[in-house]
Amino acid sequence: MEEKNVPKKTPMKAVGDFFKKDLVQYIVKRLLMFIPTLLLISVLVFFVIQLPPGDYVSAHIAALASEGEFVDADYAASLRADYGLDLPVYQQYFKWIKDIIWTPTDSTYYRLYGSHHNWKYSFAYGRDVWDVVNDRLGLTILVTAIIMIFQYAVSLPIAVYASTHQYSVGDYISSIIGFLGAAIPNFILAIVLMYLSYKWTGNANVGLFSQEMLQNGVHLYNFGEFLKRMIIPIIVIGTSGTCGIIRSVRAQMLDEVARQYTLTARAKGVPERTIIMKYCFRAAINPTVSGLGGVLSSLFSGSTVTAMVLNMQIQGPVLFKALQAQDMYLAGAIVMVQAVLVVIGVLFSDIALAFLDPRIRYSGGGR
Amino acid sequence: MKKRLIALLLAGTMALSMAACGSNDNTGSSAPSGSGGDVQQSQQGGSTPEGASPEVTAPPVEVTGFGEAPMLADQVSAGTLPKVEDRLPVEDDVFVDQVDAAGNALEIGTYGGVINLAGAGGSWGLSRPVLESIIRYNTDGTYYANVIKSFDHNDDYTVWTFKLREGMKWSDGDDFNADDITFWYYMCHLTNYDTKKSWACLKETVNDEDAWAVLEKVDDYTVTWTFVNPKFPADFIENGDFKWCWAPSHYLIDLIPDSIYVENPYWEKTGLDDETVLKNAQAKGIDAATVNDLGKAVAYYWWNEDGIPCLNSYTLSTKEGNNSRDAQLCILERNPYFWKVDAQGQQLPYCDEIHFNATSEDGQDQLMFRSGELDVLEVGMQDIASLLSDLGDKAQLRSFASTNWGSYLITFNYTCKEENYANLFSNSDFRQAISICVDREQVSGLLSEGFLEPGQCAPAEGNFGYDAEWEKKWTEYDVDKAKSLLEGCGLVMGSDGFYDFADGTDFVLTIYTYTDSGADQAYPVLEQYYNKAGIKCATKDIEVSAFDQEIDNNDWYAVLGPHTAIGGLSMRSRVQPFVPIAQSAEWYGDYGTYYGTNGAQGVAPEGDMAKLVEIYEKWNSTPDSAERDQYNLDIYNIHKENLWTIAYLKAAGSYCLINSNVKNYPELLVSDDLYQYQNIVHYWTLFKAE
Repeated sequence: MEEKNVPKKTPMKAVGDFFKKDLVQYIVKRLLMFIPTLLLISVLVFFVIQLPPGDYVSAHIAALASEGEFVDADYAASLRADYGLDLPVYQQYFKWIKDIIWTPTDSTYYRLYGSHHNWKYSFAYGRDVWDVVNDRLGLTILVTAIIMIFQYAVSLPIAVYASTHQYSVGDYISSIIGFLGAAIPNFILAIVLMYLSYKWTGNANVGLFSQEMLQNGVHLYNFGEFLKRMIIPIIVIGTSGTCGIIRSVRAQMLDEVARQYTLTARAKGVPERTIIMKYCFRAAINPTVSGLGGVLSSLFSGSTVTAMVLNMQIQGPVLFKALQAQDMYLAGAIVMVQAVLVVIGVLFSDIALAFLDPRIRYSGGGR
Repeated sequence: MKKRLIALLLAGTMALSMAACGSNDNTGSSAPSGSGGDVQQSQQGGSTPEGASPEVTAPPVEVTGFGEAPMLADQVSAGTLPKVEDRLPVEDDVFVDQVDAAGNALEIGTYGGVINLAGAGGSWGLSRPVLESIIRYNTDGTYYANVIKSFDHNDDYTVWTFKLREGMKWSDGDDFNADDITFWYYMCHLTNYDTKKSWACLKETVNDEDAWAVLEKVDDYTVTWTFVNPKFPADFIENGDFKWCWAPSHYLIDLIPDSIYVENPYWEKTGLDDETVLKNAQAKGIDAATVNDLGKAVAYYWWNEDGIPCLNSYTLSTKEGNNSRDAQLCILERNPYFWKVDAQGQQLPYCDEIHFNATSEDGQDQLMFRSGELDVLEVGMQDIASLLSDLGDKAQLRSFASTNWGSYLITFNYTCKEENYANLFSNSDFRQAISICVDREQVSGLLSEGFLEPGQCAPAEGNFGYDAEWEKKWTEYDVDKAKSLLEGCGLVMGSDGFYDFADGTDFVLTIYTYTDSGADQAYPVLEQYYNKAGIKCATKDIEVSAFDQEIDNNDWYAVLGPHTAIGGLSMRSRVQPFVPIAQSAEWYGDYGTYYGTNGAQGVAPEGDMAKLVEIYEKWNSTPDSAERDQYNLDIYNIHKENLWTIAYLKAAGSYCLINSNVKNYPELLVSDDLYQYQNIVHYWTLFKAE
């Protein structure tokens, strides 16, 4: 039987119809929902960050005491007054959110920085918060993107192979690797790999850049060295995600290949490759696609614990340091941006799902 | 084997460290010990009032010419840098560095290379290896004029004179002279622009009011500090705060707003408002939200901002990406105008750069040291044997004697809000019971793998005030005696097997620790002993800033591993750890607040606690070194009598591993605030052998 007998217009046509009718309305509705959602998140973020006892000044004074410098109560009080930390928390919050949304043209901040969005000053870094965030943004996106591409490029073919060759040697091997990858904490794997790197090559490859790169930058001539230093982060961060994707896509695929529509297609003589890739795979990656909501956020922050173990200068450790130092404006900014990206990411993933699964609708309930 | 190695190192370190600490008076100027040759340079050596030879003194040398690093010679050839003779102070005022802080002759080094260190850490991180201060100490406690050429005082100690080094220059080549002193004092310090309350060493009380020293510029290279009352060395030149008294006026002048101006005879208002000043700072690459932030950045933690001229051996690189202590690779570059030379007249430093390689985990430091990416590694004693065994002759161990008064300390809140607890803690029998109810031998094995010996909260052997009897006081293990002492304090054994107060209320010893202090690990061990003696315990482990806040709020009972512990090198280093005069240490709690706030807050001390302050005031008002040491010992005796803090083990030293090709790194040093910790290594004299 020929493939032409399969009713192939249905999914795309439905999505096309849907786009015409509902999508704009849906996106507008979701965008409007952003405002209260983000305001609610901002309140939570600001107050949760303030929950631990003490504030930046007490953390700063404690750090100074550790360095042998003593600070008296008057100085601490003057610092609190300078930073506005002597105000009630709700006043601090309103000032913070107001300045982020709109800093007026006649303010000192605008005249100095030329921006209407004052994310405030990072106490711990002694710089404008947005400058601190920007410093590591490019590298964080680059590293996380490389790792993600690695994850999907490796895991999806393996998952398809494992599901179509269930209980074969290849399936067992991928399962074992999957279980090991999921079971071994990233930071332990990182330490082991760095040690092995030191033992085998004499260089532990700590961090993404050599001293030479940190002085002269990454260029074509030392790009190979950079890629070499990417091996451990890719293996460590990539494999854990890879294992999860393999396991979930494989399980979904096994579900899909046993479904009635697959049997029907097979009975009608549709080529196996078409059945697997065009129908089963599309359905199987639904959960993975719906999980893409967090991708933008993780692109922004990177993996904090693993980044610290591997000494990677990406955003995660900055957030950690900000929280440790109770640098609330910096921590608040990072978490807020992450929240915005999650909200946007979820919207994108919802739209992407519509392409993949015509049964999904955004209005009018299920059909 | 490991234990023996460490024990030997500790013993050696202690024996050699600070044997003479406190034995010298240091009120005289550090007179140049001239070479008798063509050139008379300032020489390094401890100062004594009688002119007697200090213990650490270099023999005079004759320097007949100056050398410089090849990289600087190239710049001279290219015409981008003046000749070395023009960059150094005039010949008589050049500082000849011949011996290290322990008095060993320095090896003449070779130029070039990089010293790789681990991350810079906190606010002081970049300054530790390179900060040049007014005076500099040797490990034996003697000191000498460093940045300034000499210091002197009149007979009644009301006028102090600082002579500067003629021809000395800032790292950008501008002249360093008396204007930079008056600028710092009148424009940065008295204005509180550096955001620190003006230092006590420059303050006195006149007619019951605070009064400040009058600074006068005598000529371009001489200034005087004048006080109404005698200002003795301990409270002036030896005061730990008084590390510098200069700022680069030519660079900072457009960063001083009129809003903070204080009337003075040397500097007029700049005519700049706050916003203009912040814009000027931005143009110089300095980011600050307020004038206070700016002042703190450029006039206090100035070494953390690139571009600010300094007098240190190395300056922060101006290269984007390497110019911040937060950078993964932070670089300090040689100061081409550095004013010290070696015994052969070669301008220091030897190495071209110091690199701070930021890491986020201790294990990374070790891996980087093993692979040769770091030259110096601070290491815990438990890792020394394995690292040395793996690295063989590629690495060498360097020891820093500790000036701490013991390890695993517990202290109590004598000003506790609950009167029954405060009274109990104040009873020395209670503290004795807490001390002797613990088996220190066993604690040593459990908490330090036997590395640290049993001991008490007392000066370590080799330190000023060491007293063998004190070190062993209340260290015997005797649970029955402890119980009897507790009962003598009025505690009554309850039906649950734990002591209660006499009025029947529960007695629970709530012990605070702060996260990562190590005390949280010690608590479960000590709790077993306390329980065995009938003391019911609870613990509260909190983040350090919250911990400090609870201490400040006087909302605590006992602390294990106090954040600001009793003890240290001596009162010469810092007074606060020994005397309750500030709101800083746990062992005196709100008594310190009382003095710190001039009686406005806190609790007025009584008895021996008050006696400490009385003796301190005498110590502070005598110029006589021997008398001062005696007062210091009197204060120590009160501590010995009271043991306000109990220690269970002796203090641990600190250790560094260095790459064997790093030369001139002294073998035995002392780690203390007085010496600015790593500053005592004298990084500008280190060089790397081929």
